[in-house]
Amino acid sequence: MSPKRVVLVTGVAGYWGARVAARLAADETVHVVGLDAQQPASGRNGLDFILADVRNPLLAELLKVEQVDTVCHLAFTHSTWRSESAFESNVMGTAKLLDACGEAGVRKVVLKSSTAVYGAFATNSSFLTEDHPLRGSRRYGYTRDLVEIETFCNGFSRRVPDMVLTTLRFSSIVGPEADTPMTRFLRTPSAPGLMGFDPMMQVIHEDDVVSALVHAVEKDVPGAFNLAAGDTLPLSKIRGLAGKLPLSVFHLCANWGVTLLSSARLDVERYLPIEPDYLRFSWVGDLARMSHVLGFTPRYSAVETLREFAAHLRMGRYRMGPTSLAEDVEHMHKVIERRRHSSGAAPAAEGGDDE
Amino acid sequence: MSEEPIENYEERRQELIAELEDLTQQLQALTPNGKPSFSPQEKAAPVETAPGESSEQAQSGALRRLRDTLGQSVLNLDVWKGVWYMLNYTAQYDAALARRRLRGEFETDAWGLDQEYLDFVRPFLYFFYRSYFRVETTGLDNVPAAGRALLVANHSGQFLPWDGMMIGMAILTDHPAQRLVRTLYAAVLPRIPYASSAVTRLGQTLATVDNGTRLLEQEELVAVFPEGYKGVGKTFRERYRLARFGRGGFAQMALNTGAPIIPVSVIGAEETYITLAKLPTLSEITGIPYLPITLTFPWLGLLGVVPLPTKWYIDFGAPILVDGYDPDAANNPVRVSQISDQVRNTIQEMIHNRLAQRHSVFFT
Repeated sequence: MSPKRVVLVTGVAGYWGARVAARLAADETVHVVGLDAQQPASGRNGLDFILADVRNPLLAELLKVEQVDTVCHLAFTHSTWRSESAFESNVMGTAKLLDACGEAGVRKVVLKSSTAVYGAFATNSSFLTEDHPLRGSRRYGYTRDLVEIETFCNGFSRRVPDMVLTTLRFSSIVGPEADTPMTRFLRTPSAPGLMGFDPMMQVIHEDDVVSALVHAVEKDVPGAFNLAAGDTLPLSKIRGLAGKLPLSVFHLCANWGVTLLSSARLDVERYLPIEPDYLRFSWVGDLARMSHVLGFTPRYSAVETLREFAAHLRMGRYRMGPTSLAEDVEHMHKVIERRRHSSGAAPAAEGGDDE
Repeated sequence: MSEEPIENYEERRQELIAELEDLTQQLQALTPNGKPSFSPQEKAAPVETAPGESSEQAQSGALRRLRDTLGQSVLNLDVWKGVWYMLNYTAQYDAALARRRLRGEFETDAWGLDQEYLDFVRPFLYFFYRSYFRVETTGLDNVPAAGRALLVANHSGQFLPWDGMMIGMAILTDHPAQRLVRTLYAAVLPRIPYASSAVTRLGQTLATVDNGTRLLEQEELVAVFPEGYKGVGKTFRERYRLARFGRGGFAQMALNTGAPIIPVSVIGAEETYITLAKLPTLSEITGIPYLPITLTFPWLGLLGVVPLPTKWYIDFGAPILVDGYDPDAANNPVRVSQISDQVRNTIQEMIHNRLAQRHSVFFT
C-alpha cells in the first residue's frame, strides 16, 4: 500500500474548513491534517489537529515534516469594516502560507475566493471570464482582502510555476448553515434592493462549495475558476424567492449611507452586508471553464438553493438561540478580538456583556 | 352558417326548455325542500328578445341606438353584473400575477429577458411603431428567420433610443419569424435607475465585443449603433451625416463569429428632436455624456422629451458577408477598420437614397 497523501486544511475551526476536512477524511487515500489558530468549537472529531497560526514562521518546517502534498487554504477572517487585524491574518497570512508552501515543496494549493473580485461596474460584460482584470471594491474588507490575496497569487504563481495553484472564485454562497455576505443580506428583515436596478446575479449552494473544494483537492487543475449554479437570476427574483417585499432605496442614499457609517467607524456590513454597487451592476462570471476544464457541475440550481434557504428562513422564526455555528464562532471571534485589544482594562469588568 | 338551425330554432328551444325542466324536477326530487334558483322560462326570455335587438330597425340611426342601449344598459342589472365580473376577474388575475412575480416565480433567460415584461411594454411600443411614427419598412427579407446576424444602423435620439426600439418592433411585429433583437447599448444606460432594469428585462445588453460575440454564437439577432454617443448627440444641422464608427467593435464581432452584417438605415428618427446646440462644459461637469438644447428642451421640462411625430422609414440592406478572412482578422486593426468603413459607406448611401425619395418629414 502506498503511503497516504497528506492534505493540510487551514481554518478547520471555521465552517468551511470543518466541512472540507470531514469530507476529505472520508477518503481512504488521504490523511488530513487540520490547522487553525483556535480550537474547533465542535471538538476535534478524530482530526489530526495542530493549533497554530498560518503566519507562524516555522510553518515551512511543519509542512516538510508532515510531507504535505496539498494545502487547502480556508482560513479567512470575514472582516467587518476594513479591519486591520483581518487584513493582517487574511492577506499576510496567505502570503506567508504560500511562501512556506513554496519553500517546503508543497505540490498543490487550493484557495477559496469570490467572483466579487471582478468588481461591479456599469462597463462589465454580461459574463466575465477568469482573465478579466480584478477591480473588486476596496470599500468592504472582504473584497479588498480577496483582491489583495489574488493579486499576490498571480505574482506567486509566476515565481513558482511548478506549483499547482487552484483558485476557486465562488459566486454568492447561499445555504442554511453558511454565513456569507449574501446570506447575511437575505437574513436582514427587508434586504432592500436599489431603486430601478435589477442586475443579473449568480448564487451557489453551500454543499456545492464544499464539493467543489474537495473536487479541486482531488483533481489537478491549475488556474482560476468561476463557480456558480447554472441559472443566472435577476436580483428581484432572488429577493422574491427568499420571501422579501419589493423594497428599494435610492442608490445615492445607499452609497452615502456606506460612507457615513464607515466614517463613523460603525459596522457597515451589518446593515448593508453587500456593497451597494454589487446590487446595482452585474458581476456575473462565465462558467465555461468550470464545466469544461475543472469538470465540476453543481448539484443544486440557483432556484433550488434559494427555495431551500427561504424554507430555512421561515423555520427560523420558530427556533430559539443561535441559528448557525458559524455565527457563534464569529461572535466568539469578535469577543476575543475585543478582549485582546482592551489592554489595561480589567477583563472581569467587561465580562458581563460578553456572555 | 346553414339555414337549417334557424328553421328548427323554435323546436330546439322548446326541446332545451323541456330538458331543463326535466333536470329541475330531478333536482327537486333529490332535495324536496330546496327551491330552484332559476326557472328555464325566465332564462329563455332574453334569448327571445335578443333577435329583435339586432333587427334592421334597431340598426338604423347610430345615435338612437347608442341612446337606447345606454338607457337600457344603465338600468339593466345584468350589464352591471357583467362589468363587475369583468373588473373582478381582471383584478384577481392581476393580483395573482403580481403575487406570483413578487414571490420570484417568473422566468428569465441568462441575459435577463423576461417575456412577461416584454408583453407588458409591447403595446406601448406598438403604438409608437404603428400610429405615432407610422414606420414603413423595406428589405425585411434580408433579415434571416433563424441564426446569427448583426444589424448595424445609424443612431440618433438625444434622450431616448427610439431608433433601437423601432428596429426591434419592426422585426418583432412585421418580420415573419417575429424575432427579438438584442440591441447593444452604451455604458451610460446601466447607471440610470429604471432604464437599467428595463433594458435588462427586455434582454438587451451592454455593447462590448465579448457580449456581441457571445450573443451571435448563441444564434441571436444583434443590433448595434457604432456611432454611439456621437450619433445620439448629433445637432439638427448634422442630421443624416454619419459620425465616426467608433473602434469598429461590431466588425470584430462579425469576424469572430462569421455573422453576416445587415446595414440598416433609419430615416425620420434624426428629426424627432431639433437640437440647436449642446452644452459641453455643463455635461463635463455633471458627467452626462451630452446635454442637448432642443426646440422644446429644457424649456418645456419633461414635455420636451416627447419626440416629434415624424414619418419613419427603416430600410434593411443586403447582408455583407465577412467570411473568407484569416482567422486572426478580428485582432487586425487594418482589417477591422476596412470592414467598418465599408459598412459605414453602405449605410450612408442607403440614407441618401431614401432622403432623395422622401417628399415630407411628417407625411407620406
